[in-house]
Amino acid sequence: MTYTRSQVEDFLFHEAALIDEWRTKEWKELYTEDAEYLVPPTENPDADKNTALFIINDDKHRLDQRAIRLTRRTAHSEFPHSILCHLITNVRLVTDADGKQGSNDIPVHYNQVVYRSKRQITDTYICKVRQILVPEGDSFKIRSKRVILAADTLRPQGRVSIIL
Amino acid sequence: MSIPLPSGPDGYIKDDRANSEFLVPRKAFTSPEVLAAEREQIFNTCWLYAAHASEIPKANDFISRRVGGRELIISRNAEGELGAHFNTCSHRGAMVCREKMGNTKRFVCPYHGWTFDTGGVMVEQPADTGFPDDFFSKGTKNLRSVAKVDTYRDFVFITYNPNAKTLIEYLAGVTEYIDIVADQSAVGMEITEGNHEYSMRANWKLLLENSADGYHGLTTHATYFDYLQATNGAFRTDFDPATMAGKCVDLGNGHAAIEYGAPWGRPVAQWVPQWGEEGRATVDELKANLVARCGEDKATRIAEKNRNILIFPNLVINDIMALTVRTFQPVDAGYLEVNAWSLAPSEEHPDVRKFRQYNFLEFLGPAGFATPDDVEMLELCQQGYQNLPEPMWNDISKGMSQAQNGVNDELQMRAFWRQWNKLMAA
Ligand code: FES
Ligand SMILES: [Fe+2]
Repeated sequence: MTYTRSQVEDFLFHEAALIDEWRTKEWKELYTEDAEYLVPPTENPDADKNTALFIINDDKHRLDQRAIRLTRRTAHSEFPHSILCHLITNVRLVTDADGKQGSNDIPVHYNQVVYRSKRQITDTYICKVRQILVPEGDSFKIRSKRVILAADTLRPQGRVSIIL
Repeated sequence: MSIPLPSGPDGYIKDDRANSEFLVPRKAFTSPEVLAAEREQIFNTCWLYAAHASEIPKANDFISRRVGGRELIISRNAEGELGAHFNTCSHRGAMVCREKMGNTKRFVCPYHGWTFDTGGVMVEQPADTGFPDDFFSKGTKNLRSVAKVDTYRDFVFITYNPNAKTLIEYLAGVTEYIDIVADQSAVGMEITEGNHEYSMRANWKLLLENSADGYHGLTTHATYFDYLQATNGAFRTDFDPATMAGKCVDLGNGHAAIEYGAPWGRPVAQWVPQWGEEGRATVDELKANLVARCGEDKATRIAEKNRNILIFPNLVINDIMALTVRTFQPVDAGYLEVNAWSLAPSEEHPDVRKFRQYNFLEFLGPAGFATPDDVEMLELCQQGYQNLPEPMWNDISKGMSQAQNGVNDELQMRAFWRQWNKLMAA
């Protein structure tokens, strides 16, 4: 079965809406049990998480805990929650050399800009995202999300206390 | 230089030992004039951490980075000798090196083509007329080198001060703690791939204070402890909570450290159930090697204790659930830049390296479960100082009435501020 870009976009927009609306406990349910959520070092998007220092290197357990943490008042950086807005664009379903989609693992590349506003400051995170989706009923789940920061440092944002 | 701070019998701070009260002026965190004086009297006089030798192991390796607010090239020349040079062309000033790190024989200034070797020596330029024959042979057109470069156990320090005392004298008692870090490898520690370059909208001294502050752990980092509780096998089963109280020591020249029991896994040689039985065998072997190399007592200290080490003025080595080297510098009074790395034994077993890099991020880094909340606290302090001039003092008295200080006391910060005061009043 082949999937259309708009099917995939609907799913990505849904994920972004859950993050922006701080529905993080629902957000974590979009991920498979073997999922990973990664932000590699800025100088090497393809770095190996087992050898290099990443910015985020979550397995499903830590991703779940990240989601739960962000619902607490004691997650100080996000209390009160900052105001978030994801913009998603340039969505591409990546095909193999013969132009075919994978039947189970569906690689998707897109660009996104995330705005985080708090205490009268707006920080911008410009990202290139690579996801691997797997079909789940009439939608998808995420097996891997690798968010590559299109920047050479995390200045002036200083932190990634939100979900990108 | 005139410093716009209230000055009393103890200088710019109030160090009232009779009443066990220690106060620091909030204006020291907000004033551009204070920052200008700090650049002169602290950053231009002290030894500053510049790099780790593992980042530039071979002849002609180089790094370019800001150190104490100035743009440097830290490099090895063709003979492998370490040097540090200002990254600015001796012709009209352009930065001659634009890459963060690499290996090269020559730095070619992109503006008019003056060319320097990795020792900073001017070797050629493209014009064939206009200069007398001996113009370039006098050495006056080389890249300017910083006054001194030295290393201690592979930590590379520089100073802009030609009259600085030796590095070893400067480091004073903190060498014991650097040794404990360096001794974690039989062959040498290394900076691993990847780094954290981030920032905080806060004064640089707030981060120094925060980096070895045990007092804020349970409040600021409540969610980190929630995370550990929710993680199977994150704690060692035989942990004695009494060891958490630990100790806090003033190591001279503004350096200080806290040292305390670690309930969590330490990739150097403390296993926790989360790492599985296979991981246990690997980590037990690390511990056995450590005992063979350092003796039982020191090996146990290395394996089981955390250390947060403050090296005046702006280097922190935190030997906790992983090992981080963190340096930071002011950009302006209310904004600092941080560079942080993960340090590890270069011979580390791949499974342990994997635990280390995973562990590092559970607490540390701009997206860890703790550091973003530190950033928040520092920024809240900095914003709170907008209320100057009425509330004008910070209180750093905790533990002052006691003979011994533990990790939840504030002796480490007083050690910093006394040195700061001494240099600023000079
Ligand atoms: S400024 Fe470098 S060659 Fe002119
Ligand atoms: Fe902290």
